[in-house]
Amino acid sequence: MTTLHIRHPLAVALLALAASALTGLALAAAAGADPATVVDALVEGTLGSPFAVGTSLNNAALLMLVAAGFTVAYRAGLVNVGGEGQICLGGIAATAVGVSLPDDLPLPIGLTLTLLAAVLAGAGWAAVAAWLKIRRGTSEIITTLLLNFVGLALVVLMVQEPSLLRQPMTSSETLPQSERLADSAHLPLLGLPRNPATIAVVLAVLAVLAVGIVLRHSTVGLRLRSVGLSATAAARFGVPVDRTAFLGLAAAGGFSGLAGGLLVASTPFVLAEGFSSGFGFSGLVVGLLARGSMTAVIGVSVLFGFLVSGGINLQLAAGVPASTVTVVQSVLIILIAGAAWWTSTAKPANRSARADHQLAGDEAGDEGLDSGAVVRKPADDETEEVRA
Amino acid sequence: MTATTAATEAAVTTTAMLSLDGIGKSFGPVRALDAVTLTVRTGSVHCILGENGAGKSTLCNAVYGTVSPDSGRMVLAGADYRPRNPADALRAGVAMVHQHFSLVPTLSVADNLLLGRDGFRPPRDALAKDLDRIADSYGLRVDPRATVGALTVGARQRVEIVKALLRDPRLILLDEPTAVLDPAEIDALIETCAALAADGKSVVLITHKLGEVARAADEATVLRAGTVVGGGRLADTPLSSLLELMLGDKEPIDPASRPRRVREPDDAEPVLRVRGLDVTRADGSAALRQVELNVGRGEIVGIAGVEGNGQSELTSVLSGALAAGAGTVTLDGVDLTTATPAQRTAAGLAVIPEDRHTEGMIAELSIAENLAMPRLRRYRRWGLLDRTAMRADAAAAIAEYSIRAPGPDAPIGSLSGGNQQKVVLARELSTEGLRAVVAAQPTRGLDAGAVAFVLDRLRAAADEGAAVLITSSEIDELLAVCDRIVVAYRGALLGSVPAESPTAATDIGLLMTGVPA
Repeated sequence: MTTLHIRHPLAVALLALAASALTGLALAAAAGADPATVVDALVEGTLGSPFAVGTSLNNAALLMLVAAGFTVAYRAGLVNVGGEGQICLGGIAATAVGVSLPDDLPLPIGLTLTLLAAVLAGAGWAAVAAWLKIRRGTSEIITTLLLNFVGLALVVLMVQEPSLLRQPMTSSETLPQSERLADSAHLPLLGLPRNPATIAVVLAVLAVLAVGIVLRHSTVGLRLRSVGLSATAAARFGVPVDRTAFLGLAAAGGFSGLAGGLLVASTPFVLAEGFSSGFGFSGLVVGLLARGSMTAVIGVSVLFGFLVSGGINLQLAAGVPASTVTVVQSVLIILIAGAAWWTSTAKPANRSARADHQLAGDEAGDEGLDSGAVVRKPADDETEEVRA
Repeated sequence: MTATTAATEAAVTTTAMLSLDGIGKSFGPVRALDAVTLTVRTGSVHCILGENGAGKSTLCNAVYGTVSPDSGRMVLAGADYRPRNPADALRAGVAMVHQHFSLVPTLSVADNLLLGRDGFRPPRDALAKDLDRIADSYGLRVDPRATVGALTVGARQRVEIVKALLRDPRLILLDEPTAVLDPAEIDALIETCAALAADGKSVVLITHKLGEVARAADEATVLRAGTVVGGGRLADTPLSSLLELMLGDKEPIDPASRPRRVREPDDAEPVLRVRGLDVTRADGSAALRQVELNVGRGEIVGIAGVEGNGQSELTSVLSGALAAGAGTVTLDGVDLTTATPAQRTAAGLAVIPEDRHTEGMIAELSIAENLAMPRLRRYRRWGLLDRTAMRADAAAAIAEYSIRAPGPDAPIGSLSGGNQQKVVLARELSTEGLRAVVAAQPTRGLDAGAVAFVLDRLRAAADEGAAVLITSSEIDELLAVCDRIVVAYRGALLGSVPAESPTAATDIGLLMTGVPA
């Protein structure tokens, strides 16, 4: 496609972005801020300094992991709403391991043990919901969602209770948080000048690429898809449906758990109440918007990562509530979701299930990473209509 | 041919319900309908005949407003007719009963019939009156309190037709209404069509079963590759000429005409063996009771019977989709009663499921993926999928089974029903170490060419030594392909009728009514 048609997914994304930016500016103006100050504050908070850029990238890395996990489970037809709780459990496990490691352990070993614990804990937390799903048929949307609250409460319990993970109380001022993780469990920085970006960014991008390849080019990916599309047929084809679904959801939990481990393994290297700061829910949104495309997961994560750090600066510098950014994000979500419908109604003869693939499929097909894999050629569409 | 068309046109100028004039429709490069001209007379049953993919459904969808034609003109009862959607069609008095029913199974018949009505309070009293009227005039009786899910297929179809009639249409389109019905239900449907026509309504019946045309229709139009190739009043047109028109220059493959390899009677153990099988349905009724069945090496056994007599449950138990209450299933002496589908495939059991759409294929996946699914191990290279090998094997299967498809990467859902079934057949018959084939209603909904192809392949599999079990409601097909036929009746298998017996058809007919031979 040489010309950028107005219904092209990229054009739609840019228009949606512009519209939500305008909404944000309008809200900021309503809060009494001068638009120029707002833009300055936003740019300052996102791209203004190496520190801002690094923080944004670290945020994006966490979103990528949660979204990649979400996509894996979604392939098997399961919706993982439990990112937040899985992050909590990952963080708890990583802290438990991280504080008990000796400081002089070689970093690769210490960090691997810490993050491995996080992955297993996150996967285990999701496995509770997965087990209920395959044994009892309980909706995983409900169970993963409710387990979030249990996970959040567990973090509070861990950091409040001295016999658990709370740091030793030396005075009444001792904060309810864990001890610092051992040095051998600290996530190394990427080493960019004055930039707090950690190797989590690299890890996350690699993980997303690996997920893309597995989903699109491996038997595991095909099995997950078959279970998600038709469990009955998949069972007939000899796919272990229950096990595949279970592992799909557990893997999603593992990715979120890893995000939780990365959170406590970076500054300030402690587990504290609210440390998960909504990354589980934002990651879910990224996964939904990316619609199975791993390219889109990276793109949307970076965008959201920058918006979050921009929002914090918005409050600090321009006195505009940081929640304005949440509104902007929400507007963006509504517009992109609406645009998916709009682009799919562009060709009236070709309506139907293809709507699901329109946004992600077109874009990611070019990248070769679209795990949706239903990039239909026009010829196929026609035969579908012709069948008598 | 031109003479008949002209004659038809002359006869209908006064009493045309629907006239199509040069209707054309293209989907990209594919010409689905090409200058279709036909007339449906008021108060007649008009059959549209054609093989799968001939454009029958597209034509109906054009009349019902789901497809807008590129060219041509439609006239309904003398007025220009150009529906943009089904709502337009319904307002103009055109109703359609689709091949796949659109009823909510958990709701009652009355609730289903009231769905989509305007207003806050459902007009239940008016509905009861309407149902009485429809029952009186057309002999179509439905129980408004029954739950749709508990009804037989035939009863569900009656509900669909009643739903269409509640709109008081002038023209009713029935898309492949007989595909899932048993002979008695087909008779009832034909009577209903006649009653509708007698009441001054017009009925358009889409089918590829010639036998029904002879009994049901006043007129027929034959479509092939999107064009009208002939037709006319049935009184003037012999059925054989319609068949020729339908198939074109293709030679109809008659399985009976090909000599089968004669197999020496096997005194060895049967390959597929079912012993004392009991299956209980979810509602507690017995679907199968103490069923015994043997299929020997190279033998083809057919199971005839009216639907709902346990044959679906039997094939489901054999495929592993349903657990047996009691009894055993063995293949070559290996107990498969509780085996997983993967273990069954590994043991050499191929299954062509009854419900192709939910069990036999995954519509969104490509032909290559659908073919490779049960043997992904074969396509693993360095931990990744060897798509090149998958495509090559799929291309070979497409050629061998003459599957009409754009290519191995086309989603299987984009193929016509017959070609989808060929993909299923290709996959199952290439099962490694094939020992037995269980084919549940393998020819349902297929056109004559595809039916012959499927049966031919099953015979070839038996010739190579596989034990083949076929369930079908088409007795003629079973007689043509099987060695012996048993009849499913109320959860038991009755008799064993040798196919070459001159009285086979009558014997089977008797057994189907429960009379032991």
